[in-house]
This record gives sequence, C-alpha cells and structure tokens, in this order.
Amino acid sequence: MNELSASSRITYRAVMVRPGVARRIRGLSDKTLAWLFITPTILLLLAINIFPLLWTIYLSFTNYRANRANVPTIWLGADWYRSILTDPDIWAAMQVTAHFVIWTVLIETVLGFGLAYLIDKKFRGHGMWTTIILLPMMLSPAVVGNFWTFLYQPQIGLFNYVVAFFTGRAASSFQMLGDVTLSPWAIVIVDAWMWTPYVMLICLAGLRSIPDYIYEAAEVDRATKWRQFWSITLPMALPFIMLAVLFRGIENFKMFDMVNLLTGGGPGSTTEVASITLKRAAFESWRTGYSSAFAIILFVTVFGLANIYVKALNRVKSR
Amino acid sequence: MAEVEIVSVSKAFGRTQALSDLSLTIGNGEFVALLGPTGAGKTTALRLIAGLEQPDKGSIRIDGRDVTGDAPADRDVAFVFQQYSLYPHLTVFENMAFALRAPTRRVPEADIRAKVQEIARLLHIETKLDNKATQLSGGQMQRVAIGRALVRSPSIYLMDEPLSSLDAKLRGELRLELKRIQVDLGATILYVTHDQTEAMTMASRIGVIEGGRLMQIGTPREIYENPVNAHVAARLGQPAINLLPAALFGGAPAGAETIGARTEHLTIARGADGDVSATVKRVEHLGDQSHLHLDVGGRPVVTLADPEAGFGAGDVVSLRLNKPLFFDARGWRVAA
Repeated sequence: MNELSASSRITYRAVMVRPGVARRIRGLSDKTLAWLFITPTILLLLAINIFPLLWTIYLSFTNYRANRANVPTIWLGADWYRSILTDPDIWAAMQVTAHFVIWTVLIETVLGFGLAYLIDKKFRGHGMWTTIILLPMMLSPAVVGNFWTFLYQPQIGLFNYVVAFFTGRAASSFQMLGDVTLSPWAIVIVDAWMWTPYVMLICLAGLRSIPDYIYEAAEVDRATKWRQFWSITLPMALPFIMLAVLFRGIENFKMFDMVNLLTGGGPGSTTEVASITLKRAAFESWRTGYSSAFAIILFVTVFGLANIYVKALNRVKSR
Repeated sequence: MAEVEIVSVSKAFGRTQALSDLSLTIGNGEFVALLGPTGAGKTTALRLIAGLEQPDKGSIRIDGRDVTGDAPADRDVAFVFQQYSLYPHLTVFENMAFALRAPTRRVPEADIRAKVQEIARLLHIETKLDNKATQLSGGQMQRVAIGRALVRSPSIYLMDEPLSSLDAKLRGELRLELKRIQVDLGATILYVTHDQTEAMTMASRIGVIEGGRLMQIGTPREIYENPVNAHVAARLGQPAINLLPAALFGGAPAGAETIGARTEHLTIARGADGDVSATVKRVEHLGDQSHLHLDVGGRPVVTLADPEAGFGAGDVVSLRLNKPLFFDARGWRVAA
C-alpha cells in the first residue's frame, strides 16, 4: 500500500517538473534563458570596456580637452594621427619602448628558461629555491620601484656598492638613474629582476609537461644530453616559452608604473616609454584629443603585433 | 644480436623489493617472454637491462661484456615502451629515424631512408611516414614504436607489454606479425607480458616471475605441462587450473596437499559412478565449447565441455581425475 502511494507520488511530481511544461508556463526558451544569464556581464563589459574604447576613438578626431569642457568641440578628422606619426618626439618614445621591451623580454626569456631548466632537475631543495626565486614577482611594482631607487642610490645604494666591489670603481662615480646611457639599462635590470620568475614559472610548466619516458626513449636511442635538449626539450617547451614572451611583451609595451617611479621618464626623455609620454599629454598638458589618438595608435600596434604572434604560436603548437 | 646474461640481480625501490636474485640468460636469436602479474618485477627487469635503472646487486652482461654500470646509450639495446613514448612533435619518419641519426652512428641519410621504409613496409605503416606521431590511432602508434626499435640492429630488443593497450583483434594480428618479423630478422627479444596467450604463442622460452622472483623458465610446453609450483600452474591455461584439497579425491601421493586439475585432467560423465560426484552450477556457452562451472564438495571447479554433451544447471555429474598435478602444503610440486 505504502509502496504504491510512493510510486504514484513520484509519477505525479515527474509530470509537474517536465522541462517542456515548465518552459511553456514561464514562456522561456533555452535561448532566452541563456541570454538572461549573460546579459549583465555583457552590459558590464560594454560599459567599462567597449564604450570607453569607442568614446576614445571619437575623441581622437576632435580638439576636446578634458580641462576645458565648455569649449565647443570641433571635428578635426585625422589631424592628430598625422601629427603624431610625423612627430620625432613620439618616435623617440617608441624607440625607448622598443629598447625596453626587446631587452627585458630577451633577458627574462633566457634567464627564465635557464632557471626553469635547472629547477626542473629536481635537486635537493628545489622547492625552496622555487619559492625564493618567485618572491620578486609577488611584490607590488610601486614597492619594487621605490626600493630599487634606494638600491641605485650612488652614495648608499647596494647596487652601486656591489658593482664597485667587483669592478674597483668608486661607488658614487656613476648614477644608474641619472645617467643618459645607464638609465635605459637601469629600468631593464629592474624589470628583469621582477619578472624573470614569471617566465620561469611558465617555462617550468612546459618542462614538467614533457613525460619522463620520452627522455628514456631518447636515452635508449642513444641521443646525447645535448641532442635531447635541442630535439626534445626545446621543441616541446617552445609553445610555453612563446606564451611567456607574448605575456611579457604586451605587459612591457604598456609599462608605466615602475618606470614612472624609478625615473619618471628621465633624465631628459631617455627612459620616457610611450605610456609616460601618453600620460603627460593626457593629464599634464590635457591634450585629450591628441592623447586619445596616440592611445589608439598604441592599441592598434600592440593588437596587430600580438595577433601576428598568436598566429605563429598556433603554428608552433600544431606542429 | 648477442647473448644477454643477467646474473643474480636484485633491485629495491625504497622498501619494496622489486627483484630478488634474478638470473636469466637470453640466447642469441631467442624470444624469451617474462610472464607475471602486475607488480611482479617484469618491467624492472627490462629497465635494468636497458640501463634505465641500476641494480643494487648482481651484474648484467651483453655479448660477454659487463655493462652493469653503463649508460643506456652504451648498451646497444632497443626498448619498446608500454606507453608508446613517441616523440609527439616529430613525424613517423623522424620518429623511426631518430635513433639512426645519433651523431655517433654516422649513418648516411640515404641508408636511413631505405631502412625506415623497409621497416615501415614490414609493419604496414609505409603510407603514414609523413604523419605526425600524434595523428595516428593506437595500433599505428604502437607499430611506429616497434618500428623505431626495429630500424636498429641492437644486441637485444626489450619490449614492455607493447600490445597491452590495443584491442583484442589488433593484438592478435600484431602478435602474429611480431613473431614473423622476429623469425625473419633472427632477432633476440625479451618480451614482458601478463597475457599468457602472447607468451605461449610467441616465446621460445617463458620465464614466470612472481613477487620479484623467477619461479621457472622453460619452453611453453614445459611450463604448461610441468609447472614447478602452484603459482606457475595458475599462470597458464584457460580456464585456469582448479586447485582442490587432495583429501577430496583418493590416490594422492604422500605429502600432496593440493591437487591441480586442468580441464584435460578431468573426465566428466553423467551420473554418479566416477571418483567424485559434482553438481553443475552454471554453463557458459562460448560457441565451439562450453565452460562448465561445477560444485565439488562445496568448492568451485571450472572445466571445458563439449556443447553437444548438453549439460544443464542442476545436473549431477561424476568426475574422474586423469594424471593431475600434485602440490605440497607450500605449493611446490610433488611427483605423482
């Protein structure tokens, strides 16, 4: 008797929650429901990403200045773009940026992969070393910028002291941040110090993904360690290395905070990377239209380069 | 090709003794199979010969030369791994040519090409040479893995369950092919498996390994007909040997505690006029024959029967023993 009533209750309930019926009651198709769920996210993205982008594009064609909002806005066409692309100061900033990006990415990749290769050998205490090496990237760029300012201090700075110790030159005979030839390298050194661990981490993931038995097979196939490195380790870790290069490249192309803290673009404009030029134009000279155009040029450059690069990355991956 | 000798080798991993005092000689051109359950130490034995592990005790000699401390590259062995272990970013051709391209070998490129193509034809993968190793099916990958070993002419081929990850049909085909290739090339092979059919059909000698010890080594017939103990007897035969207390039947020799009865040791008849009577519990029809599950004095016995005999569940039958095997209390063989 009990069993019978239980089973009839179950059947009754099953009818009640049949999806088709529920759908008809509320008038919602699966598609409507899906839209309902993603609409808040889309609205948020539109508000904080797409709208500012479109607004910036609009402003880049006008004489708009954020500090003189009541001056009537005039449509200027591509004037800003023309003047930016022919401005030698802009090209100088682009060169400073290129120097910074190329050297940091190169140094970080070589050192990062090298460290990953060593850590992957699983020597005694490799876990502890990994943690120690990872410390710099866990710090805030503001902190890093400030304490490297101290390290680079000619009289009391540890960096100058160490260089002096090894080269025999007087510690106060050079200024890393105040010298036109040294300061571009000063910011490269700090960025490499801070972000090599990050590249190492990604490379380490790549190296750990190569199974041991591949090396064992190569060992039996009489491949020397040298050949194992070039024909197994490097090709199989290459997609990871390329990914690290992509992340670091994009990140450093728009470098601002650390360089701004260390040198503020100086001395002169020797370390004035593109985003510092941009910040000055936008928030010191208040040339909003002009800086919008520059921002769009930077955006298109990074976007274009990254796209070409991702295509290459995919080719390597599918190899 | 050369003779490979393993002399009283022991190997432990932490507190697990993987191999204890293993001695084994694989003659030139011989196909020896190591048969045993998972964790018996079969793979460890292969890895020790390859040099991928170092023994704690004992020595390994290849062609009369002591190679115990040598690196894998200096031993001239080829290894087929259970997980294929192909180089995923290389093509089939490059995978097979990899070992030939070792700088120390200086094989001319034309010879490499010819050799790889010859072996690829042998394994029926000659149309796949330009494919990526990862674009192949499991069976094809395993052929490439075998091919990668076959392009070389090493002292010995070491094969670690190369067919275990394939489906039954492919396994059967490759079993035949591998045996044919071994005979054609006169190759020396040490083959590790837990599949008794592979061991029985391919090997010229079978070594049964259990708990890190070599229980017995001999031709498939010797191992099957004259097992030294109950472990070895239980490894071979389908359905598995029935181990029954000697007291159940009369006429056991002195010291015999257990009777080992394979299907050919049991004669079944209807009625209750044999040595022992039994009840049919279940009949499994396999087509050409049937598995008969019997109950003999409360103990399960499985044997084969002709489907024509028409036994059914509940039938009472009688069993007669016909030269069965006898084992003592510790499982060792007792002469009849």
